[in-house]
Amino acid sequence: MKSEILISIIILFLCTYSMKAQDFRLGKVSIEELKEKVHPKDSSAVAAVLFEKGVSNLIYNQTSGFEIELVVKARIKIYKKEGYEWANKAVRYYLENSLREKVVFSDVATYNLVNGKIEKTKLKSDGEFDEVINKYWGQKKIALPNVKEGSVIEYEYALHTPSIGNPRDWYFQSDIPVNYSEYVTLVPEYFIFNTNVKGFIRPTINVVKNTKSIRIDSKERVTNGFGGAVSTNFTSDNINYTETRTTYLAENMPAIKEEVFVNNIKNYTTSLEQELSMTQFPNSMPKMYSTNWDAVVETIYKYDDFGPELNKTGYFEDDLNQILKGVTTLEEKIAAIFTFAKTKVKWNGYYGYSCEEGVRKAYKNGAGNVADINLMLTAMLRYSDLNANPVLLSTRSNGISFFPNRTAFNYVIAAVETDKGLILLDATEKYAVPNILPLRDLNWFGRLIRKNGTSENVNLMPEINSREFVSVISAIDSEGVINGKVKQYHVNHEALKFRQKHLLTNKDNYLESLESRNSNIEIDDYERENELDLSKPVIENYSFRDNKTSEVINGKIYMSPMAFFAVKENPFKQEVREYPVDFGYPIQEKYTISLKIPEGYEVESMPKSMTVDGGEKIGFFRFVIANNNGQIQIVSTSDIYSSIVTPEYYATLKDFFQKSIEKQNEKIVLKKI
Amino acid sequence: MQIFKIKVLIVFSLLMSQLQAQKKEYLFSQIPDSLKENADAVVRLNQIDINIVSQRSMNIKSQRVITVFNEKGLSAIDAFENYDKKISIKNIEARILDVFGNEIKKIKRKDFKDVSAISGSTLFSDARYIYLDYTPTQYPFTVVFDSEIESSNTAFIPSWYPFKNYFVGTELSVLTVNVSGNLGFKKKEINFNGFNIEKNTDTSTQLKYTAKFILAQKQEPYCAPTMVFPRLLMSLDSFNLEGKDGNAKSWKEFGKWYYDEILDGTVQLTPETEAKIKNLVGTETDVIKKAKIVYDYVQKKSRYVSVQVGIGGWKPMLAADVDRLGYGDCKALTNYTRALLELVGVPSYNTILYGDSYKRNIQSDFVSIQGNHMILAIPYKNDYVWLECTSQDDPFGYQGKFTDDRTVLIIKPTGGEIVHTKIYEDKGNLQKSKGTYLLDEKGSLSGNISIVSEGSQYSNKARLEHVHPDEKEAHYKEYWSNINNLKLGKIVFTNDKDKVTFLEDVSINAANYANISGNKLLFSINVYNQQGNAIKRIRNRKYPFEIQRGYLDTDEINIVLPKGYEIEFLPDNFDLKTKFGEYKTEIVKTEDGSLIYKRFLLVNKGVYTNMEYDEYRLFIEQISRNDNAKIILTKT
Repeated sequence: MKSEILISIIILFLCTYSMKAQDFRLGKVSIEELKEKVHPKDSSAVAAVLFEKGVSNLIYNQTSGFEIELVVKARIKIYKKEGYEWANKAVRYYLENSLREKVVFSDVATYNLVNGKIEKTKLKSDGEFDEVINKYWGQKKIALPNVKEGSVIEYEYALHTPSIGNPRDWYFQSDIPVNYSEYVTLVPEYFIFNTNVKGFIRPTINVVKNTKSIRIDSKERVTNGFGGAVSTNFTSDNINYTETRTTYLAENMPAIKEEVFVNNIKNYTTSLEQELSMTQFPNSMPKMYSTNWDAVVETIYKYDDFGPELNKTGYFEDDLNQILKGVTTLEEKIAAIFTFAKTKVKWNGYYGYSCEEGVRKAYKNGAGNVADINLMLTAMLRYSDLNANPVLLSTRSNGISFFPNRTAFNYVIAAVETDKGLILLDATEKYAVPNILPLRDLNWFGRLIRKNGTSENVNLMPEINSREFVSVISAIDSEGVINGKVKQYHVNHEALKFRQKHLLTNKDNYLESLESRNSNIEIDDYERENELDLSKPVIENYSFRDNKTSEVINGKIYMSPMAFFAVKENPFKQEVREYPVDFGYPIQEKYTISLKIPEGYEVESMPKSMTVDGGEKIGFFRFVIANNNGQIQIVSTSDIYSSIVTPEYYATLKDFFQKSIEKQNEKIVLKKI
Repeated sequence: MQIFKIKVLIVFSLLMSQLQAQKKEYLFSQIPDSLKENADAVVRLNQIDINIVSQRSMNIKSQRVITVFNEKGLSAIDAFENYDKKISIKNIEARILDVFGNEIKKIKRKDFKDVSAISGSTLFSDARYIYLDYTPTQYPFTVVFDSEIESSNTAFIPSWYPFKNYFVGTELSVLTVNVSGNLGFKKKEINFNGFNIEKNTDTSTQLKYTAKFILAQKQEPYCAPTMVFPRLLMSLDSFNLEGKDGNAKSWKEFGKWYYDEILDGTVQLTPETEAKIKNLVGTETDVIKKAKIVYDYVQKKSRYVSVQVGIGGWKPMLAADVDRLGYGDCKALTNYTRALLELVGVPSYNTILYGDSYKRNIQSDFVSIQGNHMILAIPYKNDYVWLECTSQDDPFGYQGKFTDDRTVLIIKPTGGEIVHTKIYEDKGNLQKSKGTYLLDEKGSLSGNISIVSEGSQYSNKARLEHVHPDEKEAHYKEYWSNINNLKLGKIVFTNDKDKVTFLEDVSINAANYANISGNKLLFSINVYNQQGNAIKRIRNRKYPFEIQRGYLDTDEINIVLPKGYEIEFLPDNFDLKTKFGEYKTEIVKTEDGSLIYKRFLLVNKGVYTNMEYDEYRLFIEQISRNDNAKIILTKT
């Protein structure tokens, strides 16, 4: 009995052992790996990373000083044809002289199982390409040879970079499953890095300290005595130091997948980013880069193309004085300066919190990047005695910054502190108004920096509702045709969105798409109000003829109370949700409809009034309907309270939408008296 | 002396005023109002001067002057030039003028952006381009763009487009061509009718066209620009391609040149590969069966990777390299397949064409380098079998929607030949649905359906076999977006590549499918195949429209009604016949109380006039409306 247990333990041990026995050295591809038909945990995977190991070594180079050598080794399994793209690999490198990087591929090969034997095909030079993308970036590309379904491929590359301040991010997770991902950093004691791990799955961390030494060769010219011969002394020092070896390991990472209404999928992908926060060399004072938000902000503030740019005012003073003549109230002042900044300097489409042209030149040329424009705006506001400061932020496309570092930010806007609270301004967006920022800015928190260098978090997510307000007066005839007039208001962010999308669209084309989006009703007498009066909502007025959404069956009229305004499909179709749903901003949609039924008809049945309470995390839907002698009044209001809904509320959210959509599509039945 | 001074002064000031007068150009106010209508920009001048110096040298000077009214007009600026080892940019510069025609900025070559032209599915190429990256500071403004390029690839004389963009008016567009010597210059006008284009000069060495005053065009659905926009094709009988001289007056000559100069010597394979492929084919003698074995071998072995360097952009990679690397682009994979077929005694020919789901022909009456894709033609029984060699999934001989029904050029060792690829008949593009659904007392639905797709509809569906399960689910939730609360059950696919049919077996259910009002259930009888209502009303349609591929959908659905209800209303049978197609629905009551719903929709392919568009819209609308016809049941 005992021996049986022992045997099973041994067998168990052997099993675990053999499972772990994958060899993570390049060239040691196993028959099992080649035989595998589908990924054991994800049968839909087209390919999988069997392992990827990166070693980032901060080393001393006798000629160029400290640099980072990143060596990456990877083994990838191709299961299906759709995964062939994983057999092409590209690595980018920086081209500009002083910070030029170098990429070298080695040990690139494809492995196939041919008649039970492993066949290895090496990459030759004709499968390697070097592309100069633009002035700044190049990329090395490889296309692996002889790739089939079932192939395993391997490659190694080394990237040498002098940019030690921002090592490359390491992605443990990918859009295919990753079985094993290991990232090692080797850092001498002179350097302290901030490290941030993003994503839902955390890697394990293991730290070891070793003693190492660097040899530093130096030469010195020495003159022997007055007018004597010159000789060169060569010295060679060995300096001992402690090196920290940190190993990050993540195993069995599922494939990351895209979903609708996701802010930025990178926020949820398990990855690691690092930034130099401090250096301390022997016999010198420590130099701080970024250790906490205040330090980060201070560092940025001191950059030549940031803080000093805020102090320049001479270039705009005369013009601004003209603009501000007769302007008295705070609100008027802000509005006037904001409008002036927007019209004076146009955005060239580039992000960044560092000025590209410098405020003065941007002002002169009339074009600049985000920092040129918004730092100039801040300076103008300050010049006009307003308590204005820049706010650093990370755009939606840049992801969310969870830890203090300089690259967490990629953008800057302006803020004015007033009695009534903070007013945020982004003059890169021509249709923006105070406190209505373009969608790209709406990404959790920003960091406001005051003149004295102190800073604080600022909530970027809008708290005021954006609204769509629709008022309809209509009548249905005995053929089931509805005629009516619509007045539709787009307020706040909805106004911004409308202006961005539609102001330049050809009117006919706009109407054609408006018609086709709304069950192909016919629209006439279309007019817009406040197109360019940004302080007011955009208003659309039109009359319509809708012969599509109601039906006459057996002498009775069946119609949706909301007619063509009824939302017909639930935008949330997925059964489960992985990531938060991001609406961008809270929104209210309200419809006030009055509908006259035809002479000689009466209401046989109609939907009942109803409310759906989604709870404070989601929203509220209210549907009120009443019939006053053939005049039906409907008020339908849908509120989404918050910009972001986390996955645990997904089922509730989906149900909230479903119920409100079903209500909108219930029928009013009219019959002859 | 004094007098002289004054004279100088006068001359000088005259000069000054002249200079100043010259400086103001292309004023916004000079644009006629009609050109501004519907326009985001107006091309003030588009002057292209092509000078063909010799068979191996061509110089093209361009000046484009564009007044841009708003952001949407920026794409009309088109201030860029391509270059590579055979094309060099001699000059490129731009000036920006304000609304009054004053110069506000000058942009030199070094301030243009220089970037790699690699994009999409291309892995590598040496093509690059230089473009103007200018942030407007005010609207409207005018760009004056000048460029000059030199190219030895005289095989490619760029086509002339009197205008290119929608929503852009054109004031003046001029083309001049000068040809030195007797190189056999020729041209072909396409879609010139109805536009104000004048031919000023037309000799064997000189050509000049002027297009004036072309109003901004609105984009209209079901009409591609190639169908209606004017363009001029140009070419030489004696040309040069990547260093190789060529001479062709006919397709036969052109094909012969291509075969001898470009394809020759590319099909050698190693003895090992030869032995392997012969072994695979064995004793098989039937041409088609042999070809199937080879095609299957290529599909399993290769993948699409496009590398275009130098003449590699025109010449296929060596078959031996494709064999070793297991990848290539369309030319490489086609040529490799040809090499393998040759080893087993099956002749085949590389075929040049335009590969696109929008059908586009090789202009058969204009001998020149055309096309953007290559497939393989195997002669069989006075016809051809066509192989798409870049696909790892396509059934043997299937042309899907990428290469079907168009004029192509076959390259035979004896020369070129123009032929037409396979036409998939409207009725052959079939989707046959047969299924059932059951409704319960609460209006909830459960059902299952088998859908067989053939012809061009096969290619719409076959891709589903390989997509991620999430995408598969998304496809059905979109296809059946009329069914609220849709939940998918089992989904089984059968892809019969021999018959080229794709079968989907799907079971579904949906809570509260039917509307309940009072004691009634109300629901659309057609659950599984509703015509989407996507035809826009177009105000004042100008251009004709085209239905490129017809199709036939048939449905037969058995419907089991809930117990305790009786039918209050059934939609009438419906029958519609127009030039655009036929539509018929029928509901039959069976003895066991269930219903059978039959639907037939045939849409014809064809080109129709702008006047017929509203009729077509009505045709689709009637279908859509009837597809949504409701049944009413009352509780007994």
